[in-house]
Parts: sequence; C-alpha cells; structure tokens
Amino acid sequence: MIRRFLKLLMLCLGCLGSGAVMAELVVVVNARSGVAAMTRNEVINVFFGRNRQFFNGLEAMPVDLEDSHPKRLQFYKTLVGKDLSEINAYWSRQIFTGRMQAPPRLESTEEVLKWVAARPGGIGFVELSRADARVRVVYELKP
Amino acid sequence: MLFASLLFNLPAQADSGQTFTVNGFGTLGAVRTDTDHVEFVRDLSQARGATDEWTAKTDSVLGLQANWRITPQWQVVAQGVSRYRYDRSFRPEVAWAFVKYEPTPNLSLRAGRLGTEFFMLADSRWVGYSFLTVRPPGDYFWYLPFYSIHGADAALTLPAGEGVVRGKLFYGLSRGDIPLSDELWNIKGSPMLGGYLEYQSGPWQVRGSYANIRFEHDLPLAPVLLKEYGIVFSQADARFLETRNTRTHYYSFGVVYDKGPLQAQLMLNHIDQGTRALEDSDAGYLLLGYRLGEWTPYLGYSRVRSKKQAPPASPIAARIVADSHSDQKTVFAGVRWDLARNVALKAQWDGIRGDSSSLFPYRQDDLNRWDGRMDVFSMSLDFVF
Repeated sequence: MIRRFLKLLMLCLGCLGSGAVMAELVVVVNARSGVAAMTRNEVINVFFGRNRQFFNGLEAMPVDLEDSHPKRLQFYKTLVGKDLSEINAYWSRQIFTGRMQAPPRLESTEEVLKWVAARPGGIGFVELSRADARVRVVYELKP
Repeated sequence: MLFASLLFNLPAQADSGQTFTVNGFGTLGAVRTDTDHVEFVRDLSQARGATDEWTAKTDSVLGLQANWRITPQWQVVAQGVSRYRYDRSFRPEVAWAFVKYEPTPNLSLRAGRLGTEFFMLADSRWVGYSFLTVRPPGDYFWYLPFYSIHGADAALTLPAGEGVVRGKLFYGLSRGDIPLSDELWNIKGSPMLGGYLEYQSGPWQVRGSYANIRFEHDLPLAPVLLKEYGIVFSQADARFLETRNTRTHYYSFGVVYDKGPLQAQLMLNHIDQGTRALEDSDAGYLLLGYRLGEWTPYLGYSRVRSKKQAPPASPIAARIVADSHSDQKTVFAGVRWDLARNVALKAQWDGIRGDSSSLFPYRQDDLNRWDGRMDVFSMSLDFVF
C-alpha cells in the first residue's frame, strides 16, 4: 500500500519535473525541405505511411528507431497513444498484404539526424535538445 | 528461421541501392467446439473443420515473405504460405508474387499474383498478429474463400484536408478451388473485378467497396448427388442451379475507430448471388477492444442471414439451395496478451446462436441433430519475425 502510494507520488513528481525523465520529442525534417510546420494528423499520416508526400509534393522519407530505443515507445505513446505491439501489428498488416514496408529503424538519435540531413524528404523524431542546424523542427510532441 | 531473419533483415543501406528483406508470420492455433453435429471452419476454403476435440488445423499457419526493392520505384514481392486448405493438406503455396511500380509516392501499380481486398482486412486474414481476435469474425468472412487473382491493381492516395482519400481498383482471374462435400468447385479463371474508396483521418477510417466475380464453372453437384444420395442430377435441376456464367456481386461498408487504447470496428456486407443455387446474404459485425497494458480484452457481435431467391424447381434443387442457407448470430469475447515483442497469445469464446437451418458455414452437417447452437473455444499464439 505504502509502496504503491510512493510509486504514484514519484509518477506525479515525474510529470511536474518532466525534463530529465521524459525529454520532449520533436519531429524534424531536412532543413531544405521547404516544410515549416506540420499538424499532428499530418505527422501521423507520414509516419504510418498513409500519405507519402509533403504538402509541396516532396516525397516524405520517414525514419524510425529500433524497438529497444526508449524514445520509440515515447514517440508513439505521445503521438497516437499506442503501445509498440500495436504499432508493430499495424506494420505487419501493411507488410504482409504487400502494401508497403515499414520505415527503416535506426539505432540512435545521431543516426536519425544524419538520415534526415542526408535526404531532402527525410523526417524523423529526436529529443528537442538534439535538434540542430541540419534539421528543422516542424512539430512538438506534447504529452 | 532466426538465421534467415538475421541473414536477410539488413536495413536499407542507401536509398538508391537494392534491398532484400525476408519477413515471416505465423499462428499456432487450437480450437474446439461443443458439438460433433457439424464441423466448424474458418472459411469455406477449408474442407474439414473442428468438432468437440481440439484441433490445430483450423487456425495454424506459417508464412514467409521476400521483398526485393530493385529501385525506389520498382519492387518484387513474393509470399509463401502453408495452411490447412481445400485439399485437406498443408501444402505450401505461393500466396502472392507480384511486381510493384510506384511512379509517384502516392500511386502504386501492381501486377502478378495478388491478394484481393474483397472486404476490408480481407487480404490480411491469416496474419493473426495484425488483428485483435483469434480469427476474423466468421459470420462476416466465411463466405470469402477467394484469396488471390492473377491480374493487376492500381491504388491512388490523395491528401484531403487533414486526412487522405485512397482508391483502389483491381481486375484479374481468380485462383483455387472451393470444397463441396467430397468434390471441389473450380473457381480458377473466373474473372474478378473490384475496388474501394476510403477516407482516413486521425483515428477514423471509412471504406466502401464493391467487387464481382463471374464464375467459369458449375458447382460439382452431379457427382455429389450421385455419391451421397444415389440421385442422378436432372437436366432441369442442372439448369436451375447453374453457376457457370453467373455473376455474384459483393458490397461492403466498414468504419474503424482506433484511438489510444480503444479499437472499434463496424463492418457490413451484402452479397447478391448470380446463381440460384446460392442464397443472397447480409452480414455484419461490431468489435470493441480496449487495451490495458499488455492485455486487450475484446467483445464482438456478428450476424449473418441469407434469403432464398426464386422458388426451387424441385425437391432436389430445394435441398441444394437449403445447403447454402445461413441464419445465425454470434457473440464473441476474448483477450489478446502481447506477452513479448512480436508475439501475442489469444483466447476466445464464440457463442453461435442460430437456426438449425443455418448450414452454409459448416462442413459435414448432421441435419437430424444440428440445432444451430454452438460454442467455440479457441487459443492462438501469433507471431511475426
């Protein structure tokens, strides 16, 4: 009972303090993509392969993180409220019907930044503090 | 298997380079009912089904798929599947094998052996990991033994406000056989045409679809009648029950709401049979699931009812038409447990409450004892790799 209460208290403190535990995630695109901002639904459309173009016609090339990377869970939890098992179930349907392949999964934020910077249509998610001049922040994921 | 995935699941090295990936899916399923008066099947492509003893035949499957991306625009995809099928074997077959060309990111053209999306989710019916229930709701999918065509399809996606509109058209020649008693109904070469239009925005997905098939062959009624009842099929009955050159139309409408832990699906269909041997039908289901951590309990309701068309010409014709009758409701409830990455365990109960005249969905009917009520218990272990 006491342990549960303490756990709850810590969770609440976590919400208030935010910073260290749940660094804010942002969606970044290539700085030369011509995309300045996106809505939540546009971000969902691109990361779920529903729409593979930006508003200006440029092909969107989303990139994801490995399952084991904690930011992957945080990203999908915040964006659509889904667990990774549901995201993987979604992609297994897309793959095995032959409709499309899932975005490549990289191991680290640095690799994501490199991927996005190397492709005009590159789009990924990183911690806000890691977004640098190579990329442009187009959406902030608020919990 | 592990070795294969280690060997082939190399991530894309560069966008311009070729990539080759191999993925797989599978289900280890066990199902039993509480009766031996009829046999329970997953759909009409299965020759025999489950009775009151546990069987792994009905739901178990293993699939392996290779994707070869030659250029960003060109791709080759092939999928092999082993499951219990019309010839009572698990003989592996090539489920699909096609070339895909995407001239623009939102236009996809495919040709070869293709899966058909007759109804929403119809082309992922065997990928248990991708859905909530042990198997797609029977009252809705039993009628659909069609899996693939030799043909082509085109899909176009257009942004529409915050959402997207997607349309798809397909045409091709059907493949396969449908078991009928101890015989097989050949549906090979029957032309199939269809398409759908869908709108997807945020958690909502709405789709209307239409398809038709023109049967190239008659039902194998003559040998069935002769073998089972010692009756010689009359010419008048044969003409009345003709399926050759008749066209059956399939209409469906589906709404999916999928937000956070909540999943809801509503699907409706209507089948307009061209032949007088089979009855027209209406079916639908509602499914609700709510995820609690690794566990997702779900609850559903499905219904199917068929109607006679013309009054049958003779008692024998009446008996044949009656075999395609269905009138039943099913309440189903279960839970999916995502116990490990890419592995899910499910348990489900189906309470089928129908009329004793509801025969179409089953095999090996014992007409004198079947009362239309059945409880089905299922477990499955679904995985992808």
